[in-house]
Amino acid sequence: MAGIKDLGVGIGWRSEIDLTVERLPGVDFVEVVAENLHIGHLPESVTLLLERGVPVLPHAVSLSLGGADEVDLHRVEHLGAVAEAVGAPMVSDHVCFVRAGGLDSGHLMPVPRTKDALDVLVANVKLAQRNLPVPLALENVAALLEWPDGELSEGQFLAELVERTDCWLLVDVANLYANARNIGTDPERFLDEIPLERLAYVHVAGGEQHGDIYHDTHAHAVLPEVLDVLDELCSRVAPPGVLLERDDNYPSDTEIASELAAIRAVVDKHRG
Amino acid sequence: MTKQTDTQGAWLSAEEAGFLTAGPGRAAEAVLARLIDQGLLRVSRDGLVSAVHQDGEGATTSVEARMLSFARNPVQFDAIVLATRNCTEVAQLYRQLLSRELMRVPHRRHDGRWFSLAVAGVAVVLGFVSPVFLVAAAIALGFFVWQNGSGPITQAGREALSQVQASDRVHVVALYGFDGRFRGKDVGELFDFPRRVVRTVPRRPARARRRSIWNGGGCGSSSSCGSSGCAGSSSSCGGGSGCGGGGGGD
Repeated sequence: MAGIKDLGVGIGWRSEIDLTVERLPGVDFVEVVAENLHIGHLPESVTLLLERGVPVLPHAVSLSLGGADEVDLHRVEHLGAVAEAVGAPMVSDHVCFVRAGGLDSGHLMPVPRTKDALDVLVANVKLAQRNLPVPLALENVAALLEWPDGELSEGQFLAELVERTDCWLLVDVANLYANARNIGTDPERFLDEIPLERLAYVHVAGGEQHGDIYHDTHAHAVLPEVLDVLDELCSRVAPPGVLLERDDNYPSDTEIASELAAIRAVVDKHRG
Repeated sequence: MTKQTDTQGAWLSAEEAGFLTAGPGRAAEAVLARLIDQGLLRVSRDGLVSAVHQDGEGATTSVEARMLSFARNPVQFDAIVLATRNCTEVAQLYRQLLSRELMRVPHRRHDGRWFSLAVAGVAVVLGFVSPVFLVAAAIALGFFVWQNGSGPITQAGREALSQVQASDRVHVVALYGFDGRFRGKDVGELFDFPRRVVRTVPRRPARARRRSIWNGGGCGSSSSCGSSGCAGSSSSCGGGSGCGGGGGGD
């Protein structure tokens, strides 16, 4: 995919930390939540980053591609329009559903890993791809439950999705770590099973343990264990990009810079 | 908070210098500047100020702690200045400046002073008839000057303030305000804020006009201490007993 190689290390752009993102050293690319942007009225900060040549990648959270409901093409068109507005080489969303029966869950819900569910997902992804001007990458989500009667592992499920749709993968190592903690996913097996040659980029985020559950909060520091999963991934493939997601409880600029530096150190360790 | 001193040893923090320069609002601006400078507050392009830590970590004064508490949830740049200006901790800061005799409670002015001025004028004219009226004129003139007051800053306060240097961007804010100018540049540029963010804060008089702002009304004598208030209570504003007495400057 032209233009997607060597994105470097990036951070999720959020309006609350716009000046921080602009001033942080070593931000090679940013990701914006597509639903938060309005075409024709891009945030000044995003425009500034674009003028500096910083790639801006739209990331969607509402396509609900894993849902049984018909894909809302208005949302797909908006995502595509954002991609064109920022000149993005690709867009992304999640392997999940967020609404069903007219209700919106407000969460990225895991899909059942069955052949039937995969058929639905594949059909929705293909429909979205036909209506997008740029390639689509899909991200593994953090799940607090597994649907019963699953027929495929998460890695197998994603591998088949890629094979049937030619989509790209956005691997969230924090979600992978959360799934390992909460539902017993084996990160190494996951990485063995997915087609790493279709890796678009990687997400890293922080979380917190509450009782028996690890929550992928995006509001806490990145755990060393999450960086270990990144390290494992980087030992297998050089990711085109790695992006830090932080959505709340923003730490100081210094702490954010430290997290980016820690991510870069893991990536560079395998490039050296 | 870094303090600067005068030869008499009257240490002034940036928030104290800000208060002496332009009243409680400027003190709040100085506090905001220091907390931003220390990375304890974050400002976004749309002017939202938010605390980096939710527990008030890093505050070195009660005013700083109060401002950090205001910023636990994002708040507009001008709103946090206003809220802090009105807080009881800033009123306490004023009382501390009074107790250190860097400020004084200004005389409450009333319209009677113009009558004494008129009496002095008449007495001067009558002084051509009898010199005794000149004595009466002097007394009436003295009464007028006393009634008019000499502002809330004491000589010691002025001397202490004169020693404060714009040695860093926090003290620049204390002396000139976020929306002021320093060495030909907008003060806001020192923080790389968009101009529209700092413009939300009402422009304060520069240091050279220090006297006039205290004498020119403000808390206790003008609309600046009405709905927007000082410390949000009558006890801390007006009547010369609260946040700046006859001054305020904002």
